[in-house]
Amino acid sequence: MKRIENRYVLTVIYALLTIYALFSVIPFFWTTIQSFKTPRQANSRVPLFIFEPTADNYTDLWLKTIPDDPLLVAAVLVAIFGLLAFVGMQARRFPFPRGYVYLGILAVGFAVLWSIPGYVRTQTFYDYFLNTVIVTFGTICISISIGCLAGYGLARYSGIAGVIILVTALGFRSLPGMAYILPYWWFGQRSGLYDTHILLIITLVAINQPFTIWMLRSFFMNIPKEIEESAMVDGANRLTAFLSVIIPIMWPGIISTALFTLLLAYSDFLLVRILTQSNWTLTVAISKYAAGEDPGHITLAAAAAVSAAVPIIIVVFIFQSQLVKGLTSGAVKG
Amino acid sequence: MNRRTFFMFMSPSLLVMLALMVFPLLTSIWLSTQYMTFRNINTPEFVGLANYLEVFEDRKFWQAFTFTMTFIAIAVPAQISVGFLIAVLLDQVSSRIRGIYIAAFLMPFIVVPVVGTLMVKQLFESGGIVAWAYRALLGSRFIFTEQSVKSLILVHSLWAATPFPLIVFFAGLQTLPDELIEASMIDGATRLRQVRHIMIPHLRSLFVFVGLISIMDAYRVFDSVFVLTEQNPIYKAEVMMLYTFRTAMSVQRLGKANAMSVITVVMILVVLVPFLLRTYKEQTEER
Repeated sequence: MKRIENRYVLTVIYALLTIYALFSVIPFFWTTIQSFKTPRQANSRVPLFIFEPTADNYTDLWLKTIPDDPLLVAAVLVAIFGLLAFVGMQARRFPFPRGYVYLGILAVGFAVLWSIPGYVRTQTFYDYFLNTVIVTFGTICISISIGCLAGYGLARYSGIAGVIILVTALGFRSLPGMAYILPYWWFGQRSGLYDTHILLIITLVAINQPFTIWMLRSFFMNIPKEIEESAMVDGANRLTAFLSVIIPIMWPGIISTALFTLLLAYSDFLLVRILTQSNWTLTVAISKYAAGEDPGHITLAAAAAVSAAVPIIIVVFIFQSQLVKGLTSGAVKG
Repeated sequence: MNRRTFFMFMSPSLLVMLALMVFPLLTSIWLSTQYMTFRNINTPEFVGLANYLEVFEDRKFWQAFTFTMTFIAIAVPAQISVGFLIAVLLDQVSSRIRGIYIAAFLMPFIVVPVVGTLMVKQLFESGGIVAWAYRALLGSRFIFTEQSVKSLILVHSLWAATPFPLIVFFAGLQTLPDELIEASMIDGATRLRQVRHIMIPHLRSLFVFVGLISIMDAYRVFDSVFVLTEQNPIYKAEVMMLYTFRTAMSVQRLGKANAMSVITVVMILVVLVPFLLRTYKEQTEER
């Protein structure tokens, strides 16, 4: 057998792996604990592990005033999003195409998110959250639509031009973002698009396009050519064959790529920091909590960090199998 | 698919990349020959190569350059060796337990870089758990100084960037045929010799791939340094990207900042070109 069986050696191996695993997760664990403390508890000389938790940091971060019946509001919100998630999971049981169900869920979800400030007085942190939603969603939509066309073309075309485009795009992607972002800033200032969502979306689409086309191409290459060829024999042209035959079986690949685009757009810091004045996304907003003189900044920073991490962890948790598929198919080929 | 259809499918994406990657890069080169501050955005003044000369004589630029190079020289080998060690150890563990370890290892990789940095920083703040351990063991308070902030940047990079080599090497080890290991055991090879003579040669191309990517990532490091230094120059821990950022946005010398980013691009090409040539060869063979 390949594996080690010596008990002492195995113990050492487990010990080392566990130490490294602890090293990886302790910051998450500690920040979450700190975010539920009062500034006084968080600054205590000996770290406190047993204390009376408080949600003040989160309410201070998200809300201007706490509503009269906070539990009811929270319950209503959880109920709405729970219901949407449930409908999403049951989408295939509806008598009409699944796409419409997802569109409906998105529309209701957006409507609810945007109507919240009408009922509850929220802090600017909530506006940054909404900005993040718009920018991330816009980037995914545009990036995937044009990326699918390009990825399909690259997967099916065997000429040298395809390889040249792929390699050049990879080269451009590997350059430091600063080389593009300073000119973007200048375009933004001159065209008046500075500090708008549109500028953020188109620049994020462009910067992530090389990655998107590489990844989508690798998924399209796994789809046998015969599938669209048989549709084309039946008289469909290539574009119709692509839209009606290929795209429906590409959904796993599209979701995988969309997930990576989401992670990239959500976490981008430098670009958003330079191209916005006040329309920040969450990533930029929380960097403001890194520094501060007053003793409250530690717990507030902890709450901000946890708040920004939670949406990503939820998304990764829901789509973990697609994420692994993406990692193993696209990235680990070299 | 013929050439015309290919370009029809390719055109939207290609247009976006031409307009927002190739064109800005050329603009950056043009801007680097201009004297421009926030006041004369619309009427820049041509100064030739003056910005470049100024950059080369700028002591702070060389300071940032030295720190970036030191950072690469320490961080990249550390990430790769720790990643390789953990991947080899993980390979020995039964596959049921692996999943839990992998999930833990991937956490720093998935979280937003700025958030991850804030979380690491929390450990070192007053009242933080590592700051407490530091005081308990060494008897003095942990304070943010030039030395400690620089070490913190390294520790954070080890925390955040090691999962990438780790996962790539681990995936690579899964493709190692069992027969090779078994044959070597019959020949009486020790575990260490197996690592040295079978695993490392098997992963050679992955080492090159991971090394190039890690160097480029370390070269572009920005988010973590921005958060850990709080943009405070007293820590003298500026990397090139951060110094470029400050030159553009705080000092408002846009021409000079563009000159710096052009210099950075030229320097990164040294690592990038071999990587691209390798990819080009692979892709043409695969075609």
